[in-house]
This record gives sequence, C-alpha cells and structure tokens, in this order.
Amino acid sequence: MLVPINIIVNGEEYHLKVKPNQILLDVLREDLGLTGSKQGCGLGKCGACTVLLNGKPVHSCLILAPYADGKEIVTIEGIAGEEPHPLQTAFAEKGAVQCGFCTPGMINAAKALLDDNPEPSEAEIKLAIAGNLCRCTGYNQIVSAIQSCAPSNSDIQTEKRGKSNE
Amino acid sequence: MSKLDVVGKSFPQIDALEKAMGKTKFVTDLALPQMLHGRVLRSPYPHAKIKNIDTSKAARLAGVKAVVTYADTPGIKYGPRTDDWTIFADDKARFYGDEVAAVAAVDEDTAEGALDLIEVEYEELPFVADPLEAMQADAPLVHDDKPGNIAAEFKVEAGDVDQAFKDSHVIYEDRYYTNQVYQAYMEPMGALAEIDKSGRLTLWTGTQIPNMMRMTYATALGVSADNIRVIVPDYGGAFGAKMENNVHLVAAILARKSGRPVRLINTRHDDFIAGNPRVPMYIDIKLGATKDGILTGKEVQVVGGAGARVVYSQVIVATACYRVDSLYRFKHVRSKGFTVYTNTVPTACFRGFGNSQMTFVLESALDMIAEQLNIDPVDLRLKNGIGPNETSVHGWKINSSGLKECVVKAAEKAEWKTKRGQKKPFKGIGLSCCNHVSGNRPFAREFDGGAGIVRIGRDGRITVYHGESDMGQGQKTTFAQIAAERLGVPLEMIYVADVDTDISPFGLGSFATRGTLMGGNGVLAAAKDAFKQLAETAAGMLEASAEDVRCRKGSFFISGSPEKSLPFKEVAAQATYDRHGAPVVGTGFYTPPTVLPDLETKYGNISPAYPFACQIAEVEIDPDTGQVTVTNFVGAHDVGRAINPLATEGQVRGGVTQGLGWTLMENMAYADGKLINPDFVDYIVPSALDVPEIKPILVEPIEPNGPYGAKGIGEPALNPTMSAITNAIYNATGIRIKELPVSPEKLLEEINKKRGQPTDNK
Repeated sequence: MLVPINIIVNGEEYHLKVKPNQILLDVLREDLGLTGSKQGCGLGKCGACTVLLNGKPVHSCLILAPYADGKEIVTIEGIAGEEPHPLQTAFAEKGAVQCGFCTPGMINAAKALLDDNPEPSEAEIKLAIAGNLCRCTGYNQIVSAIQSCAPSNSDIQTEKRGKSNE
Repeated sequence: MSKLDVVGKSFPQIDALEKAMGKTKFVTDLALPQMLHGRVLRSPYPHAKIKNIDTSKAARLAGVKAVVTYADTPGIKYGPRTDDWTIFADDKARFYGDEVAAVAAVDEDTAEGALDLIEVEYEELPFVADPLEAMQADAPLVHDDKPGNIAAEFKVEAGDVDQAFKDSHVIYEDRYYTNQVYQAYMEPMGALAEIDKSGRLTLWTGTQIPNMMRMTYATALGVSADNIRVIVPDYGGAFGAKMENNVHLVAAILARKSGRPVRLINTRHDDFIAGNPRVPMYIDIKLGATKDGILTGKEVQVVGGAGARVVYSQVIVATACYRVDSLYRFKHVRSKGFTVYTNTVPTACFRGFGNSQMTFVLESALDMIAEQLNIDPVDLRLKNGIGPNETSVHGWKINSSGLKECVVKAAEKAEWKTKRGQKKPFKGIGLSCCNHVSGNRPFAREFDGGAGIVRIGRDGRITVYHGESDMGQGQKTTFAQIAAERLGVPLEMIYVADVDTDISPFGLGSFATRGTLMGGNGVLAAAKDAFKQLAETAAGMLEASAEDVRCRKGSFFISGSPEKSLPFKEVAAQATYDRHGAPVVGTGFYTPPTVLPDLETKYGNISPAYPFACQIAEVEIDPDTGQVTVTNFVGAHDVGRAINPLATEGQVRGGVTQGLGWTLMENMAYADGKLINPDFVDYIVPSALDVPEIKPILVEPIEPNGPYGAKGIGEPALNPTMSAITNAIYNATGIRIKELPVSPEKLLEEINKKRGQPTDNK
C-alpha cells in the first residue's frame, strides 16, 4: 500500500507515492537523489539528517514521509542561491568543515537559527546546534563560522544574504 | 629556505565548500545500477556454539537476492596481524555482534525483514569480557587453540631498573584502567562491492589503509591481491577505526553470491557492536625519581583486551608498553604487555594507538611524583623532557623537539603560575605532555615511506595521486599545498585524486600520524620530478638553461629576470606536444632514515620525526553533583611546521574534544556480555555545549626530515588530554582519577569520602 504525497522540496513540487512507514530522509535521498542529507544514527540524536520543514529544523530520519504531505522542505542542496549561502562559505573558510558528514545538517540547524534570530549569542548558537554532533572539529570553528554570518559581523555578508533570500 | 607562497598558509580545505554545499558523495551516497542493499545478522550472545543455520525462509522472501553464511565463504583463517578471523562466525560466535549471516535485497526494508527469517540454533557458552578475568586459569577460551586467552606478549627492558629504583628518593606505584571507547565517526563503516565478469572485486570504501586492506582481503577471499581494487571516495571520519573490518568482506561475499553490486553500510547500532573500538587496558606503573626530580626508573605492565579477534591490539599494547619512554630522558625501563582475548567486540586503533592510554597513566604518575617532591609539575617536565638531537633509551633519534617550548608556551598562555598558586575550592588546573611518531617503522615490516605521482596534462591541469587517505582531516589539502609550493603554482591549480589501488602509489595509508610526513614527502618528490621535466621545456621556450628556470604563482621565468615569463599552461601544453600527447608524469618516493627495531631489544629508530605537545586544562567541579566542566584549554603542539595552520589547529581542537569526551563522558558499557549503550542516545559524545574554547599554540622547530619541516599532528592532539583534565581534577580536589571515564557519580562518591560524608547523604 502506497500513500500519495505532495511536497515542495527546494522550491520544486513533487507528487510521490510512498510507503506509509517510509521516513522523509529516505524519500529525499533514495527517491529524489538529494544525498546531501545524511543518516548518522537513525534515532534523531546526531542531527546529520537535519532539514528545514516549513522553515523549522527537523530530523528527517524521524519524520514519516506522509507527515510531510503539503509541506515545504529545504535541504542543503536548496539553500544556496547563485552563490553559495553565506553559511556555506563561512563554514568552508573558517575551518568548520573536516570530514563534512555532519556539515549539511549543521548548516541547516544554523540557518534555522539565523532566520529566527539573526544576532544570536554564543550560548544561543551552541544551544541551537547541540543536537548536531560533529566528531572532527571540536565545534569552536563551527560556532565562529555561524557568528561570522550575523549581519553585524559583515556588511558584505548581509548583502549576500539579502540576495539569496530573494 | 626561501619564502613560501602556499605552505604555511591557512587555506580552507580544498573540498570544504563542496562538502558545505552537500555535493560531496560519501561512501553512503554511492549507487550503481541494479545495486542491492545488504544487512548483517549478528550474534545476540557473547559466546555461543552455532549448531545450525536455516536460511531457507529468508531466501524465499520476495526481493531477497542472496543469503550468505560462513558456508558461502572460502573458510580461510586470516587477519591483519593474527590469523584468527573468519568471514562470518564458523562453529561459534565469539562476541555480541559477531557476523552470523547476511542478506542482500532490493531495498533495505526487505533485507532487514529477511534477517528475522533466518533461523539460528545457538548453544550459549560461558563467556569472559574482562581481560584480567580472561587470563585466569578457569576462564572460558575464546579460541580453543589460544591457551590462557593470550593473543600476544611483549617485553622490553633497558638499563638496570631494579638498581634505578634502589637509587630513587621517591617511588610511585599504582594500577590504572583505561576503558573501551568508540570512535564515533559520523559516517558508519561500510562498502559498496561489485564483482566483474572475470570475478575481480571492486570495493568502494572509507579506509585508512587501502593497499594493506586489499592484501588482507585477498587472503580472506582466497584470491590474489591484483584481483581486488579498492577505491576510497570521500568518507566521514575514521580516527583509527577504519582499517580492516568484516563488514567489507560480507559485502563482497553478498556481491559474489547475488551477482549484483551490493551496498552494505552499518546501521549505527551495528557499528557500535561490531566496529573496532579502543583497546581497554589495565596498567600497573612504578616510577622513581631522585630528590631533585630526575626520573630514575620506570616499570609497567599492560593487560589489553583484544576482544574476540586481533585487529591491531597486539601492536597497540606494544606501543603502550614503550612509546612514552622516549618522551623523557629515561635510562632504565622495563615493560611487559599481554594482549588478551575476551568475548567482546574486537578492539583496535583509536587516535593515540596505545600511547594515549599510557600517556594518561605516566602523566598522572608524574604529577604524583611532583607532589611528593614538592616540585612544580611544569618544572618536573622541563627537567626531564627530551630535547633536540638526543637519542632516547630505545635508540630513537630526536631531530627536532619543541617539547620544552610547548611546556613554556602553554604555561604562559594558561597563566599557569598565577592560577596554580591560587587555591580555589573545586577549581583546578592541570597539565600533561606527550610524544608521538610520524610513522611507525615496524608496523609494516616490508618498508616504510611514501610515494606520489604528479600528472600534468596538456591544459595544465595538475593531478596529485597519493596512497594515504583523507578521512576528513585534510590530507588532500596538505598534499595540494606541498605540490603547489614545489611546482610554483597557486593552490587552486591542484586537484588531488581519490585513492584507487589501480592507479595510486602503493601507500601504507594514514595512521601512526604518518600521512603528512610520509605521503607529503612522496608528493614533494613527485612534484620535484614533474617540475624538472617542465623546467626543461620552459628552458627551451625561454632560451635558458633548465637549472635557471623558476616557477612562481603559475609563471615560469629565468632566475633573476622575472619580467619575461611564461604561463604554466603554455609550458604544460608544449611539454605534452613534445611528448606527442603523453602527459608530464612526475613520480617520486621518500625513504625515511628509520631503523627497524631489533626483535628482542626493540632498539631502533621507528620514525623519521617525533612530534611533542603540552596541554593544560582548567576545570570547575560542582561539589554537589560531581559534574566536571572544562572551562579553559590550551594545547601547545610541536608540529615541525604547520603546512596549513587552520587545519592543524582544527586537528588540535578535534583531538582535545575527543579526549574530553573520553575523560568525562564516554564508556562502552556491558551487561551480560552485551553492549548496553550501542547508540547516541545512551553513548554520549561531546556536543557544542560540552566544549570550551580550545586555544592551540603551534610550535614550529622545523623538522629536517619533514616536507617543508612538517611532522604529524593527528594523534598527539588527543594523547595528553585525559591526564591534563584529571591532573586538573586532582589540583581541584586532591582526588586522583585512576579509571576512565570520570563519571559524576564516581567523583561525587570520592568527594563525599573526602568530606567524611556517607555517599548517600545528599
């Protein structure tokens, strides 16, 4: 038995038939080929599968695909405009990426934070990414990368963000 | 050395943006047409006879294309060190998680469902999980042909240890225990396996040792090594774990039986119960010193738990036995090591490779000695630390040593003197040093070293081939910087190929903190060769002699007259035309000036360079809960030269964070022989909330044997962290931590004992 769902992923509409127990992460990775979202634990504890569902960060390994029906999803592949998203550039430049397996989920968690709270404190940043595990970097550079994307830290980045949100 | 354009500069990793954009294809993301999905059925018992396996129901499930067991394998005993492995459990399962059967099916759900249909008749056997218990006469045997469960013994002795203890003013003696912990790389282990028409196997897998793995697996599969091709795509972390593991061979057996490509990625649960976590160790130490704080003698006994088969535990125990002897000016040392089978998951490499376990113990003991002698721990290290151009007790030739500079700079940055002087309740500061290697000569006895290939095509595209492994630490970027520097081109002109055993040099791999030094020297030699070839072409074009040709920032010119220059691409094109289409291919290799240790005395020189470090931790302890918070952390590291300071600092921060997790949070907990916390719900690794700002200091004495002076950084980043933290806890509370991890419960009990309160009085 398959369930029909309509979802918008990275701005494109998809009409799919999914198994009722299929998780959103599998739909993204297997059915749509969006392999940027990763499975790191399957229990919602590592955050590697974090995507934005109607603008909120969720563990796509815990969301049943039918639940996403009618909703809008943004994955790591969808946050860049013509240029990479400022968070993507900042992560790369600040040494916030090592193996990179946690990076897509981490950036999505950070994007959700900044969309909601453009000038977060260090404590707020740490809290926002506390559900995203990184085993390589020790987090210091991730926090700096996110901080550097706050509008007050860079006029150029503010401009860029303005553009990519259009 | 003339001014450097690319080496020594903080570039983002060359593949970082691609990773940040979600475009990188990890092993988990690879797919082939007709690909099947594999799942493994694992033993639910720590030790059990397998009386019968019935796979018929599973095989009949729609969508199942292959079900395999030991009977489908060549039945060859093999292993990277000891031939105590089989692909799948043979007559018995030896640990909770042992491979019993596997399924390949059209999707993961079907494969998972089929596992439930495999009927296995077990007969439970008595098991042993603790290595000391496993050495007892009445312990159950993990392997019937290994009496006493002894997998290996190691001995080393130098000088006169007994006399040294007699001559000592103080002696410290105690037993420590370091626990089993999980590497927790973010991408679980696994492989994509395909078998071609001729029967040749291709494995796409995240591995630190593509070439050595291929040789081990050839034995296991009963084929010659050239019948296996290993390709290493980008992969999500390793930290020592991603060497040989049966999961890769299970994928191969499934592909062989089904005739289709099979992707088998461990679930996180499977990765916990059947990965290759850290070797747990019981360590007895006896350490002596004179009244002035000069170390006299050291004796240790190590009992390490191998788990149910030897991966690399015997080498890890050996490393624990004697590597620290070259950190200080020891003259009299004696070590004994036992590697012991237990009915737990096979243990292996985790950042530090035994040296981290012993560093924790030695550096704890040193602080106890310092206290007895009333010497500042900083001074004790400075008095005894090995310096440049010294030879250690085991014959190791220390060329560069920034050890003392590390101690001084870390102490300065952490305001050691001030803070150590201020006695504040439940606040403390502690330090620890370490040494390490950049390559380990006896690891592969055939050779050590590194090699590279630099290929330059007509259009000037430069491709570097190496035989090591980028597990996320940035090996590719390091090699690119070295090649760019030597060729005289901007970094963005270099592309670093994934390792493919059909194409890449035969490298030993990335372990033993060897990648940058060994592989880097190999790439440097190849770039030098390629440059020489291009210089000859450029000499013709510039009408000069080849020795006078230089290249900088992508332009060839004659030394002394940079105004007349040729773009790199034009020279590359001309060189290709001169060769009638053949690319310029530079090859090169590096022979380290090491000495294979004598089998009996262990005297030799195992590495061309030895990195050192000093780390300082500050802690605050909640006296009501026993919770330890690390509030400040400084890590000073002798890295020879940082090829890429940003990446090097990243290694320090990552290593310290893993050490912090090990010290305060992480433990693989067993009950009835079963791992009871096989997931990130119950096995907690540090999150952003647990990590303070970590302040790296890079000490750069310029190592004569390193590429542009570089040594390695991977493992020393973690080695001293545990004892830096526990020495800080001692400073704060007077409680000596002798067993990792420091759980709040344990610490609270000790705090209450000290206060003279019963532990439940809260």
